[in-house]
Amino acid sequence: MRLSYNWIKKYVEIPDGMDLAKLAYDLTMSTVEVEGMEEIARSFDKMVVGAISDILEHPDADKLKVCKVDIGDQAPVEIVCGGINLRLGMKVAVALPGAKVRWHGEGGLVEIGAAKVRGVQSFGMICASSEIGLFDLFPFTEEATVIDLSEFDALTGTPLAQALGLDDVIIEIDNKSMTNRPDLWGHYGLAREVSAMYNLPLVEFEPFSPPPTQGFVIDIHDSKGCPRYIGVEIDGVSVKPSPFEIQSYIWRVGVRPANAIVDITNYVMLATGQPTHAFDADQVKGSINVRRAAHNEKITLLNGKEAVLSTEDLVIADEVEAIALAGVMGGERDSILPSTRKAILEIANFDAMSVRHTAGKVETRTEAATRYEKAIDPERCDIALSLAMKLFSELFPGLSVTGYCDNYPNKLERKIINVSLGWLEKRLGKHISNEEINNRLALLGFDVVFDGDKMNVTAPTWRSTGDISIQADIMEEIARMYGYDNFEPSSITASFYGAINQVDIDLERSIKEYLAFRCGMIEIFTYPWMADEYMYAILQNNDGLLSLSAPPAPDESYLRPSLLPNLCKAAAKNQHYYDEFAIFETAQVFQDKDYSAVYNPQELLPYQRRHAAGAFVGSGDSADVALLYRKAKGVLEHMPRYTHMEPFSFEKIEKPIWADNVVWSNICLSGAPIGSIALLSKKATLDCGIRNNSVMLFEFDIDSLVPYLSRSNKFAHLPEYPVNEFDISMLFDASIRWEEMHDAIIGQKEEGELLQQALFVDEYRGKQVPEGQKSVMIRLVIGSDSKTLTSSEIESNAQKAINRLEKLFGAELRS
Amino acid sequence: MFSVPCGAPFLFGLIRPGCWLGSSLQDSDSIWEVIIAMIEKLKALLIEGEEQIAAANNEQELQMVRTALLGKQGSITEALKELPKLEASLRSEVGKEANRLKNLFTSQIESRREEIVLKASEISPEFDCTVPGIPPLAGSLHPITQMSYDLNDTFRSLGFEIFQESDITSELYGFDNLNFPPGHPARESMDTYWLAGHESGSGGERLCLRPHLTGASVRYMQSRKPPFRFVYPGRVYRNEATDARHERAFFQYEALVVDEDFKFSAGIVMIKSILSKVFGQDVAVRMRTGFFPFVEPGFEIDMKCLVCGGKGCSVCKHVGWIEIMPGGTPHPNVIKTAGLDPDKYTGFYVNIGLDRLVMMRYGVDDVRLFHSSDIRFLSQFC
Repeated sequence: MRLSYNWIKKYVEIPDGMDLAKLAYDLTMSTVEVEGMEEIARSFDKMVVGAISDILEHPDADKLKVCKVDIGDQAPVEIVCGGINLRLGMKVAVALPGAKVRWHGEGGLVEIGAAKVRGVQSFGMICASSEIGLFDLFPFTEEATVIDLSEFDALTGTPLAQALGLDDVIIEIDNKSMTNRPDLWGHYGLAREVSAMYNLPLVEFEPFSPPPTQGFVIDIHDSKGCPRYIGVEIDGVSVKPSPFEIQSYIWRVGVRPANAIVDITNYVMLATGQPTHAFDADQVKGSINVRRAAHNEKITLLNGKEAVLSTEDLVIADEVEAIALAGVMGGERDSILPSTRKAILEIANFDAMSVRHTAGKVETRTEAATRYEKAIDPERCDIALSLAMKLFSELFPGLSVTGYCDNYPNKLERKIINVSLGWLEKRLGKHISNEEINNRLALLGFDVVFDGDKMNVTAPTWRSTGDISIQADIMEEIARMYGYDNFEPSSITASFYGAINQVDIDLERSIKEYLAFRCGMIEIFTYPWMADEYMYAILQNNDGLLSLSAPPAPDESYLRPSLLPNLCKAAAKNQHYYDEFAIFETAQVFQDKDYSAVYNPQELLPYQRRHAAGAFVGSGDSADVALLYRKAKGVLEHMPRYTHMEPFSFEKIEKPIWADNVVWSNICLSGAPIGSIALLSKKATLDCGIRNNSVMLFEFDIDSLVPYLSRSNKFAHLPEYPVNEFDISMLFDASIRWEEMHDAIIGQKEEGELLQQALFVDEYRGKQVPEGQKSVMIRLVIGSDSKTLTSSEIESNAQKAINRLEKLFGAELRS
Repeated sequence: MFSVPCGAPFLFGLIRPGCWLGSSLQDSDSIWEVIIAMIEKLKALLIEGEEQIAAANNEQELQMVRTALLGKQGSITEALKELPKLEASLRSEVGKEANRLKNLFTSQIESRREEIVLKASEISPEFDCTVPGIPPLAGSLHPITQMSYDLNDTFRSLGFEIFQESDITSELYGFDNLNFPPGHPARESMDTYWLAGHESGSGGERLCLRPHLTGASVRYMQSRKPPFRFVYPGRVYRNEATDARHERAFFQYEALVVDEDFKFSAGIVMIKSILSKVFGQDVAVRMRTGFFPFVEPGFEIDMKCLVCGGKGCSVCKHVGWIEIMPGGTPHPNVIKTAGLDPDKYTGFYVNIGLDRLVMMRYGVDDVRLFHSSDIRFLSQFC
């Protein structure tokens, strides 16, 4: 919100020479966040009031004139100008060399120099309003109309900003920081806060005393929705322009001037924070009432939109129909027209929830609605009335009040809070004297009565609409006025009941660090929703999925039941930059099932499980598939050991829908599948837009894992005698699996055999290996606990393994 | 050249007849000729061997020389191949001399080997040391994960537990419990991602992707006994348009202490611990008035701009301070929902926007990169 410093000064007596940077800092620390300070005069630097003392024809241009312009102390200057309204003696806005203007009101700012215009030297320019950002204050209909300042008192040479009363500073406040302070949404409110901060006198408004009138009634049918409604019928108004001062004040804080009636209602709102509205009284049929709309009742609003209402919406109506949406916007029918002579001024209070609901429904968040939504106090109507009537009377000297009604059925009670002084001191961590507490709170409009170890605090009306409601609120008022900077940091004290041991939390971190640091994978983050394209590519359907009611994009509505669709999307994206890469993600997945009350019987939450998934992507000939599979499987096989949890096994139980027909295994824990490792099927790969690459995927359920409470592996004695490695290379039928070979060597070992391990080294098919066969290199580890083996003992042990492989599988030793 | 070991010169002794011919001389002239021939060979070998050893320039060459001189089929063996023809006493005399020659060569080869090892590199002098190394495995944790773990470590050291809750929550925990008034704009679908089929109703029936983490604190407190000190990191979701500074999914990190009689001024210590860990230096912090429904009093917490040291620059919008996190004392209604007496229990809460902190840590200028899964970006944080 933009607030004018000069406007604030109308209401609080700020001493001259106030440091504005300090004001901004103090406001930021204790009340609202000041986002910036803008000196309006800066935009009018090197612009002055000039008076035209002579007008000559330009020798070389029909439309241009050469004006002699008096700019104060210096000698008159010559300025070339094409203005169509130039006349002798006219006061104009002169931009001297060095000023920044917008040529013809378009494009960026350009610095003016002393330059020749069609051969004639011009010392600056005579400005049109659009060239210096003042179009709203000096509108024109015909091109090349320059600003006429003849009505202004300023002497020639006066800086333009000063002449226009624009030597002001705009204080920009972050709206978010004042959502809880409805009292601050106007200049008077902020003036009141400044007055409290520095103990400065605040200007009071003189109450308006209405003349006696008859027959003007406002009926309120819903006093909750409308706690107060003041209607004033005023005769003798017209839609002439408002005085320049009113225009310039509302303009500088961002509201475009329109006509006197509308400008005054805006001015009152910006000054007091109380929205006001004016109807053309001649259009109102009968008396005004405030009621809930009928079902499907329609109203055409000021902005031309038609709103269809329900019984939740509050309207202002005459005896025929709704004429305004309460607190949101007036209707078109009864709006102020050029012909308006008699108006009804509305100064009313409406329920915040009701206004918010209606404004949201008709998608019209007006300045008025924004203020009502914050819960304004009904007492504020009085100062708004006072100010409005003062302005109307000044502008329309013949004005008469022909009707007046203040219907106030729902009087606001001031909030009373009991505060324990002991509690206050403990929470503040500091003793503050009763006198100081009283002073601080009194400045803010609170009344304090001390009563032993308690105090009774009565909040002012403008803080009683919800803002102040509990003793912590009072503590905050004291602390912020005392200054948060004045509280010294104190130590955190708490009792310890033992060291923290969270194995389940730590396991996820171990897994992530293992995947990243030991396995060289890169962690990615993707959204919990999926693009339909990847969902169908991987999952093939959307059965049993949860979805968003207002998704980020129409084709991204489903929440993922698996991390793989987004992982594959990431793979497809990165294939453009990398031939080979490995990525992983851990996150929750969701399904529309298994609803359970985890924390609260009233809250049934759906299936949500933490998953981990990874992708190894490489260029795709078949050799790479074998390698990718072994890489991915190696990552999983070693994970339990490195991350300290119960180990996995790999079995074929249920093929994932996205998996290749051959290259897949389930990851099992105690025999039950908790995930899979598999090659992404050819079709899914193509559907994901992945070309010339193989994608090896794994995914498993983290919540199923069982972390060890501590390290579980045992120390093994180092061998006392040498352990020998003996490599053999054998030809097998291609269908024989390594698991079977391993079992033949180690599982079927006989008593006394010194074979300790059989390790897979390599597998080869191709040249020199007959079709349908494969050559497998196996490393036999042979050793004894009691002696160093001779080479013949090593060979004979190896031979036993070879014999079994020959006998069981018809394998053949290669030379 | 190398020096001859002690006992030399020995071969000259061989040609002094009295020294070794002894009683065998009388047998025949042919034996003499054999002996002369052997001596000549050995003499020649002495010179030849010394030259070869000296000429060897590396260990391989030296090994070849060694094999050539001393090996089973080497020159000395070759020179002595007539030896069996001599009678035993002569054989041993000649054999001794041959052994001395072997020993001489052996020690000369060892000396030469030491020389070679000492001064010679076997690597060609053209070896290029500026060639880059082979990188280790390139895996990495997401920069936000790293930041989160850094904070976890800090808070663990202060005795905080880590808590995680699920992404899907309800209006009850997302709003009701946290003192959000009914009709608060954040409850609307334009701000929160409600689940289709669960967007109507109220409280526990209305489900959404969690709009913030704060609801999790109530879950934690309801299921445990005070005092509490815990952190709860996680991702939250807001239905809004994205740009370089706004995301639909972003990461928060909340910390909460709840205890009897906790002073709000102790919160500043908590905040300083976090920031000094993140930025590796002491950071000046200020608390100022801020409003959030679930805290009372509420604060905006600023840190002094590290770029300009508080003088004002473009990073801090010329204010000298950067808004870093909201915080405050949990609202009594929140404490009450957690099943505690708000007159007895209080505490301090902060909510750290991890995305923003990570952006500041590395100078990242577009928040959308965090969910881009672009390895070109992510691999920078190995």
